[in-house]
Amino acid sequence: MIRLENISKIYRTKEIETLALDRINFEVKEGEFVSVMGPSGCGKSTLLNIIGLLDEPDNGTVELDSQPIKLYEDKKTARMRNQLVGFIFQSFHLIKELNVYDNVELPLIYRKTPAGERKKLVLDALERVGLSNRMYHYPSQLSGGQCQRAAIARAFAGNPRIILADEPTGNLDSKIGQEVIDILSSLNNSGTTIVMVTHDEHLAKSTHRIVRLFDGRLVG
Amino acid sequence: MLKNYFKIFLKIASENKLFTFLSLFGISLTIMFVMIFSMTITKITKGTGPEKNLGNIRFCYRVKTVTTHNGKKDFGYSISSCGRWLSEEHLKKIKSADIVSMYTGPRPWEFILNGKYQKKIQNQTDAEYWKIFDYTFLEGRPFTREEVDKGANLAVISESLKELLFGKEKNVLGKTVHYTSIDLTVTGVVEDPPPTDQNAIGDLYFPYTVLKSTEDPQEFLGGFTDAFKGSSSSQFRAIKNEVQETIARLDAADTTKTVFVPGPNSQLEKMMVGYGDPEEFSLGSSVFKYFLFALAFLLLPAINLMALNFARIHERGEEIAVRKSFGAASGMLRTQFLFENIVMTLAGGAIGIILSYLVVAVLGKSVTLQIDFLNNVPLTFSFNYIVFAVTLIACLIFGLLSGFLPAIRLSKMKPAVYLKGGEI
Repeated sequence: MIRLENISKIYRTKEIETLALDRINFEVKEGEFVSVMGPSGCGKSTLLNIIGLLDEPDNGTVELDSQPIKLYEDKKTARMRNQLVGFIFQSFHLIKELNVYDNVELPLIYRKTPAGERKKLVLDALERVGLSNRMYHYPSQLSGGQCQRAAIARAFAGNPRIILADEPTGNLDSKIGQEVIDILSSLNNSGTTIVMVTHDEHLAKSTHRIVRLFDGRLVG
Repeated sequence: MLKNYFKIFLKIASENKLFTFLSLFGISLTIMFVMIFSMTITKITKGTGPEKNLGNIRFCYRVKTVTTHNGKKDFGYSISSCGRWLSEEHLKKIKSADIVSMYTGPRPWEFILNGKYQKKIQNQTDAEYWKIFDYTFLEGRPFTREEVDKGANLAVISESLKELLFGKEKNVLGKTVHYTSIDLTVTGVVEDPPPTDQNAIGDLYFPYTVLKSTEDPQEFLGGFTDAFKGSSSSQFRAIKNEVQETIARLDAADTTKTVFVPGPNSQLEKMMVGYGDPEEFSLGSSVFKYFLFALAFLLLPAINLMALNFARIHERGEEIAVRKSFGAASGMLRTQFLFENIVMTLAGGAIGIILSYLVVAVLGKSVTLQIDFLNNVPLTFSFNYIVFAVTLIACLIFGLLSGFLPAIRLSKMKPAVYLKGGEI
């Protein structure tokens, strides 16, 4: 489902170069739930951004759903992000000017899903994360847990085959964090491939496989 | 999609009140000025009241003479209106026009009435003047050609002059108006022409022959304008050819000077030349000059809005990154930003139109647009589809100009940077 071959990424400023990823080879099979662990600054988020076509490697190739990706093909990568991938971020990144319903609807609008079907998909997603009664609330009117549930609903509303979660429980207490993991596990049980970056060993153990990064290299 | 863009626009506009105010302020003020200025100018050039057939009238109003020595032009030149001899003996005899009239146009008339200083406008005309311009006579009649030829001391007065001189009296025909040392008998009273009129304007009209000419014999320069009435562009071409042939003939006959008479020209050209050198005037370069001026004027709020947009790009980084993450291609983001900008400028345009109504309603009579030394035209509001279309286009240009470059930069932003709160 996801295949990275010999991926390197260097961040350059005027003064220094930082090697974020060093010749990474990584594969995730369809239906897997994989955790990526490692200390801060080891390249976990960079890895996730490269898988999600949000960032470009300096070397190596990325394949999603058996298709090699070239990031300069703006329309094609946008379409793949829209149809194949759903993102969950540590800081939720809900658009503050839109209410919960409109936030969840966003990927479906870009997919040009007809209005009736769009409404059904959004309501189903909100029902599944238990936010039906908060759909007209704005992000500022929600708790952290509710924001993350809205963000999860947005990620899976369009039934993407891959969900990329960057420390989805990082800003939540352990109880709410477990609820989030339960939702992700349930999505995985329905066939969605999930790659999750986490610092939490306990949560990582509940996934199928743990991948460890250290100084931009895979170490296990 | 547009509904989503619109929601975002409304929310951002209502949350960033200062930005919204600054954006709308620049656009709406500019649109207001453009609307008021263009509507007033349109009204002047299109003609109203006695000038309602202005499209069928062309004018000879400027003469330039350059002295010559041995067939070579000298440095000295004179520019003025047409001389009485030139108008009376030559221009009035142009056959290709339906009607030709000569008149002085508006001139100041100052007098003391019951101890109070009064300033009014007098206009010395021929009989044809009343056929070219469409005055509404409230009483009496205009003076005839025979009366003009005889130099009869007659006058047509405006309604407001009648009220000033004779109060509430109903019939003032046959009464006397003192103009300097001359007594003029009133033959007619006309409705006041609207202040936007530039030719058919005055409070006191009397035959130009009442005053003896003080000009030199065969003088080209003087104080008259000649108006030619026609009905088609081919007729106006014929009139122009005949006028220019006449001038060329007169020029050839006078070896002491060369003579240049432009036109006959439309009201718009007449206004553009103003008191400038008619020989230097070119409609194309004048229009281009005004176009550049208008463009610079319109660019100011567009640049202001562009600067505000650039300043706010960083603020919207997170939103743009999220949109990219969920499938927005760069083109979609550019469209969104341009859409927001165009909605903003259209809102500014709508406010500008409302403001121009309000400004004209409140200040229209006290604030005037000075066309020349006698004509201070009050600000005018007349809904005109052309002006509206031009304003709409100006709004869209604002939106595109101010949104285009920021939209490009915004669509090129790297989402990974903003999803990590500005750090990788």
